[in-house]
Amino acid sequence: MAKAEANEYTLFLGCMIPLRYPQIEAAARKALPRVGVKVFDIEGFSCCPEPWSVKGASLSDWLAVAMRNLAVGEKAGRDMLVLCNGCYSTLTEAAHIASDGSEAKEAAEKKLKSLKLSYAGKNKARHVAGVLSDMGPDAVASSVTRPLVGLKVAVHHGCHLLRPAAVMGFDDPFEPSKLEALVEALGAQVVRYDGYTDCCGKATQDPEASLTMASDKMAAMRAAGADCLLTVCPACFEQFDLGQVEIKRKLGKDHKLATFHYLQLLALAQGFDATELGFKRHHVDVSGALAKIKK
Amino acid sequence: MPKVSPGFAESLSKVEGTGELGYCYQCSACVAECPAAQHCEGFNPREIVLASILGVADHLTEAGSVIWQCTTCYKCYERCPQGTHPIEVVTALKNVAFEKGNAPESVAAVRDTVKEAGFIIVASDALARRRDELGLESAPAAPAGDIKKLLE
Repeated sequence: MAKAEANEYTLFLGCMIPLRYPQIEAAARKALPRVGVKVFDIEGFSCCPEPWSVKGASLSDWLAVAMRNLAVGEKAGRDMLVLCNGCYSTLTEAAHIASDGSEAKEAAEKKLKSLKLSYAGKNKARHVAGVLSDMGPDAVASSVTRPLVGLKVAVHHGCHLLRPAAVMGFDDPFEPSKLEALVEALGAQVVRYDGYTDCCGKATQDPEASLTMASDKMAAMRAAGADCLLTVCPACFEQFDLGQVEIKRKLGKDHKLATFHYLQLLALAQGFDATELGFKRHHVDVSGALAKIKK
Repeated sequence: MPKVSPGFAESLSKVEGTGELGYCYQCSACVAECPAAQHCEGFNPREIVLASILGVADHLTEAGSVIWQCTTCYKCYERCPQGTHPIEVVTALKNVAFEKGNAPESVAAVRDTVKEAGFIIVASDALARRRDELGLESAPAAPAGDIKKLLE
């Protein structure tokens, strides 16, 4: 196994980013090298798999697929960098289960053997927010050439980045602040709002409740004066961006709250323009938010 | 009278992550911040844990069960003072429901897509154009054969 240098990772894109929100992938590929994070692409990864339906159907199947991805990443000799809370949750929890010698692990190992693969627990998934936070807001700030001064940002962490904290290990599960510090490093102003660690509602199978959860959160963000909202997860991103179209139709509320993944605002603050970052593909117009940035 | 399954709690407690199921003292800390309890009719993590401990949880694994309303936010996991993990109890119940063929169609559909395509989303021409527009290479190919084998 090759020894990976510091800040070198195998990129684990998952499904939603490369196959539905490629603008987030584009932002990652532009922004990360400028902060000194080098990513490598390898072949052989599948869906992490997503921790709601696949895990809801069968914990042992979910674990087997997750451990397969970890095994493929382990072969490449680096930790895996993920840009999605779902991928982070699945791969981190699976690595945790794989380290405890349980029955579930044994069953998954047996399945992996049929593919001539095994996972020894030598690598793990790192969320991009965790990597940047460990490098420090100053390291991020030093890559900024066009600070986002004047932009008020409501940070949505997403549940699976934070909880269970003992397993995910990113920040306090109820009063996190590390991601906010990374947003301030871009020159933007963070606005705290009521219920800032609440769920976006994406994963419930009750469609009306799902929209209400997202809508209530965005109302709280607006009340706190936010110009836009920021996620570090494509599933939360979809719930808020595409969700606003449905919220308007079904709940009659029009929040008009531009939605970004952190990497998009990072790339913007590094001087990349809205066109190359694919902002026109967002369902909610971002021009009002971008106009707040002082030239 | 509901059917009582005396061994049910024990079988659930063996499922990875269900924590100290039997230590639940019904304090409702899990309910207080549960978004599904707040927004969905009939969802209550304390009652779900109680039904599981008592072995009267058949209704929770029938078609249309409330368990699928859980958002998997993990607040119950963090708030429980007894080390019970209601969310993992819900996941264990979901697995039983799926096994019985009682999972919502949307859940089975996601699993089927992963089984066939290796990803939850199937690549399209429109996506290829969007990737091209952003200067990205083709989307990664999934190891679909491997995943099919694991999920069969």
